[in-house]
Amino acid sequence: MVWRYGLAVITVAAALIITGWLKYYTDITPLFYAAIVISAWFGGMGPGLLAVVLAEVSIDYYFVEPLYTLRLGPKHISFLVVFGVLAVLTSWMSSKRRRAEEGLRQARDELEMRVQERTKELRQANENLRERQAELTHVTRVMTLGELTASIAHEVNQPLAAIVTNGNACLRWLAGATPNLSEARQAVERIIKDSYRASEVISRVRSLVKKTPPRNDWVDLNEVIVEVLALAQSEARRNHVSLNRELKQDLPRVRGDRVQLQQVVLNLIMNGMEAIARSKNGSRELSVGSDLDTANNVIIAVRDSGEGLDSADPARVFDAFYTTKPEGMGMGLAISRTIIESHGGRLWAGANSPQGAVFQFTLSTGDEEQRDGNGVRH
Amino acid sequence: MKNNVTEMVFVIDDDESMREALKSLIRSVGLGVETFASAHEFLQSSRPHVPACLILDVRMPGLSGLDLQRDLAEANFHIPIIFITGHGDIPMSVRAMKAGAVEFLTKPFRDQDLLDAIQQALDRDRSARAQQADNAELRTRYHSLTPRETEVFALVVKGLLNKQIALQLGTSEITVKLHRRQVMEKMHAGSLADLVRMAERLATKGT
Repeated sequence: MVWRYGLAVITVAAALIITGWLKYYTDITPLFYAAIVISAWFGGMGPGLLAVVLAEVSIDYYFVEPLYTLRLGPKHISFLVVFGVLAVLTSWMSSKRRRAEEGLRQARDELEMRVQERTKELRQANENLRERQAELTHVTRVMTLGELTASIAHEVNQPLAAIVTNGNACLRWLAGATPNLSEARQAVERIIKDSYRASEVISRVRSLVKKTPPRNDWVDLNEVIVEVLALAQSEARRNHVSLNRELKQDLPRVRGDRVQLQQVVLNLIMNGMEAIARSKNGSRELSVGSDLDTANNVIIAVRDSGEGLDSADPARVFDAFYTTKPEGMGMGLAISRTIIESHGGRLWAGANSPQGAVFQFTLSTGDEEQRDGNGVRH
Repeated sequence: MKNNVTEMVFVIDDDESMREALKSLIRSVGLGVETFASAHEFLQSSRPHVPACLILDVRMPGLSGLDLQRDLAEANFHIPIIFITGHGDIPMSVRAMKAGAVEFLTKPFRDQDLLDAIQQALDRDRSARAQQADNAELRTRYHSLTPRETEVFALVVKGLLNKQIALQLGTSEITVKLHRRQVMEKMHAGSLADLVRMAERLATKGT
């Protein structure tokens, strides 16, 4: 409060001193005007008026004949009155303007705070959504594996059966008057190989079941395809579907979450096999291919010879809860699309020739200089 | 391998580990063995000339085990089949057994169960082959008859008397008697009953 009036005194004093120095080169009034405007601007109406009074008195005392008195010559009264009115007006407008501007600033600050709060809320909501989505992704993955249980069991049982048979053979080679050590050794070697094979199946399944936070690694999609095909092989056999792969050599790697990308490929393969199982006629073939498109993006295509898509609205398959199978939940393709989009890619469906559907997705290949840049937007 | 063994076991399984294991086990008991990755591959191979049996995986890509069993039966290719499967369900095993399978084993199986089944299957094939050889022999004998003897044979087994046969063929009873003795000799029949049985077998085997 005090400093505002002090400011009025100081500015008028400064105007007085400077005008005193320069009185032969300048008019008397401009610096006093400036002092009044400054006082009103920073101090408000009161200090502005104080500045007016001080300025009038100073001008009268120091610059108006007779000098160094407060008495006024008649011709100067009108000058001082006009100056006074103008000064008061200026001071009033200036302080008004100032207040308006302050109000505006306050409103802006408040708005900014609100926006920040809202942003924080949104960020939190987004975070929750992402968590839910990760959970849903995990759940659908486990469900897909659930559908594969019988086949996976078969996939583990197969090497186990071979192990048992090899073990028996080994015992028989060792029995008898002259044990055949060479044959027995070979049987044991096969036992070891098959044991690894069984444990590989299990570790593959375990990595898909495990719930891990999304990762952002360099992923070789050809490897992903080979691993998923190994899991789906048995299911394909059960459905009398022949699985083919057409992989492009030296495919550039993409950035992303290996498990999630495996999930997408597995979903698309399972989806294709179901479409084949539903269609009664024709060939029973499913092929998975990898390639590069013209923009150097990796493109993965899963083609089936199944019943094909609804020609009216092929994109409908990606809707959540859209399903054509009685036991399906209709989440597989919706989740797949979410996963691919969160990797900055695109997943779409089309017709395969001569029959069936083709599901394709593209992911941009990380150039080496982007190694730490554009990654998965998780 | 087929040349110097007296019995052959064929294995069709698309799983290489299983093929290798079975091959080793079967060889360890001194039997000849040949493996195939698919039914198609097996059908391409030449037919065995020794008693043989087939170990067949039910679930394979392409032609399944049960399909192959049906196709072989339709092609009149008789070979005893032992099924092995990773997941034996009852309807499937019933179907296989009804279609004449020797055994239906679920992986992993006891080696003795498999070896017993193999023995049983080989026995079955051996007797079927003996039967077939007999029939072939019988047909050879039958074909050695003259046209007139063939006519007499047909009428004799119908139960006609020599006199009736002579009347029907327009010859003398003595000639019929002569032909009849000739038929009995050529067919190696000890009695009329023998001859009738032979006629039945010839009829069923579609000479």
